[in-house]
Amino acid sequence: MSLLKQDISLFGDNIPWFEGLREKARKAFERIGLPTAKTEAWKYSYFKEDALNKPQIDETPHECDGHCHDASKLPFAAVELKYCNGKLTHIAHDLPCGIIIRPLYEATEDGEIKPYLNKSFDMEEFPFAALNTAFLDEGLFIVITAGTILNMPIYLHYHQHSGMNRLCNIRNIIVIEKGAKATLIEDFDGESDARYFDNIVNEIYVGTGAILQHYKRQNEASEAHHVAFNSVQVKSGGKYESLIAHGECALARTESCVRLTQENASAEVNGVYRLAQNGVSDITTNIRHLAPHTDSDQLVKGVLDGKAKGVFQGQIHIAPDAQQTTGYQLHRALVLSDGAEVDCKPELEIFADDVKCSHGATSGDLDAEQLFYMQARGIPLAEARQILIEAYLNEVFEKVEDTAVAEWLKGRL
Amino acid sequence: MTQKLLEIKNLSAGIAESGKEIIKGLNLTINAGETHAIMGPNGAGKSTLSYVITGKSDYAVTGGEMLFEGQNLCTLKPEERAALGIFLSMQSPIEIPGVTTQNFLKHSVNAVRKYNNLPELDAAEFLKLLRTAAKEFDVSTDMLKREINVGFSGGEKKRMEILQLSLLQPKLAILDEADSGLDIDALKIVANGVNQWHNQNNSLLIITHHLDLLKRIKPDFVHIYSDGHIVKTGDMALAEELETSGYKNYLKASV
Ligand SMILES: Nc1ncnc2c1ncn2[C@@H]1O[C@H](COP(=O)(O)OP(=O)(O)O)[C@@H](O)[C@H]1O
Ligand SMILES: [Mg+2]
Repeated sequence: MSLLKQDISLFGDNIPWFEGLREKARKAFERIGLPTAKTEAWKYSYFKEDALNKPQIDETPHECDGHCHDASKLPFAAVELKYCNGKLTHIAHDLPCGIIIRPLYEATEDGEIKPYLNKSFDMEEFPFAALNTAFLDEGLFIVITAGTILNMPIYLHYHQHSGMNRLCNIRNIIVIEKGAKATLIEDFDGESDARYFDNIVNEIYVGTGAILQHYKRQNEASEAHHVAFNSVQVKSGGKYESLIAHGECALARTESCVRLTQENASAEVNGVYRLAQNGVSDITTNIRHLAPHTDSDQLVKGVLDGKAKGVFQGQIHIAPDAQQTTGYQLHRALVLSDGAEVDCKPELEIFADDVKCSHGATSGDLDAEQLFYMQARGIPLAEARQILIEAYLNEVFEKVEDTAVAEWLKGRL
Repeated sequence: MTQKLLEIKNLSAGIAESGKEIIKGLNLTINAGETHAIMGPNGAGKSTLSYVITGKSDYAVTGGEMLFEGQNLCTLKPEERAALGIFLSMQSPIEIPGVTTQNFLKHSVNAVRKYNNLPELDAAEFLKLLRTAAKEFDVSTDMLKREINVGFSGGEKKRMEILQLSLLQPKLAILDEADSGLDIDALKIVANGVNQWHNQNNSLLIITHHLDLLKRIKPDFVHIYSDGHIVKTGDMALAEELETSGYKNYLKASV
């Protein structure tokens, strides 16, 4: 497997439990291999052969003067953290009370990360998470301590320069302790001619009565590949509210697997995607209701033009004793050209009887009557289409509590 | 000196997809300052005429010509016709979920201004203009924040159409059954709005079945439209005659 043949040295090979985990991951990845067109979970968005046999891990330390992040200046205050070319280059100073942010290697050296690292998923099921684990080297360990209500979002910016074809494996562990509330924003971009493969794994632990709002925006170079896995666990009364916004990319897949492990835990996994070239957007969700009185809701809307492809795979699993549970899911797509394609695969696995569950999917074009009405009021057709598309996607952005954040999320689509 | 605003000569048009002919050799000239009323049975093609004038792509012109201030309309897009000053108040105004009335109106006003090389209005200027107009048509701020036409009652939709007429100040307004579903108060608001806008330089084409609106907006000409063309032209007396005896004397079968 050429991806594993990287002639590099990683930190922490003197920490037995850590090196042992990586070794286990290498073996797992060797065994399961890359997904192909025949792999059920990847059949709509498998990688073309050559996309993955060239990227190399970049060992050169990145000398970043910070200018590469200028383009993403935020219209709101945030705790800013930056990755450039897959390397952590900036951690905000003057952190608010109740937030602990440490680089992965530091939290590994003193063992603090151990109770969380690779504890939320099984590598055998997720080939790219296995690959990520095999090359664990870079990432963040973020803890919001019990009862802390953060009054500004944590902002993670990932930027990629052109140059070598990079493979970047990043692991973030985010722990929201009991009763705490935080917002996490991830923002991905790259220089237009950059080639890279971002392989991101976020392990997210939402404690009892805690709330995490997790928003992600991705709009990248047309040769970029992006695979992100959010492995989320929500305890009693906790809430995970998320929005995934996909823009251009050769292939972008965000997979959110949310385990509602205790009563009254809830999750919202919403998404939008908008592509007009020949990229692929894949939003895959797996909501696992493992306790009674758990609720989940998903609204995913996409707009496709050109030769773009949109994929939504949504699984809702309701365990036998997860009674009085609700699980809703709706996927809608606007397909604006003959060359564009949408694939939708809902999957409900319901083992309890006292539940309310539904899923739905629609796809279609813009409404001709609405377009004519706008034209008859002097609005040029192209502008009218834009207005209707924005209105269409707006329904999802309205679910973001903070309107400044919602506006910003829309900005790059 | 009368000035021709809209000149329709021997127009034939039909459904683009099926080729079904609806308008068959229609002639109509509207001069600046005039008010014309078109009356005719259901399904005669009155709405079709309004769509052909405004350029809806479901319909295709197969013969004749349409000139607006001497300019050939057929080669212009709907938005260009609107920006030149043709306004259509639709029989059933379209609902657009997700687009607030205020936002819709701002796009509309500024698009027309831009086309006519006028500076676009900023948010404050537009709001001032809108507030004045809204007051006149009894449209609440709450309604302006709602999605355009979504959940509006029949009367609210028609008032909103006339508010747009007042904002856009077109040269020609086509009102397609602007009076349908209106109570007396709403009818007054609509008629007053139209009369306030109407002057020596602009013109009206009213499609209606009812005398009420015509009594308030006094037409100079009343046309009876049947089987794709105008079969008789008269004045208000003709409309009154129709009110009592209906269209039967003018339909093809009875000729
Ligand atoms: N877009 C369309 N597609 C098919 N048939 C249409 C369309 N628009 C109108 N028609 C038909 O053309 C005829 C005239 O309709 P219309 O113009 O709405 O009449 P009116 O407004 O006089 O009642 C009717 O038979 C109607 O069904
Ligand atoms: Mg009609």
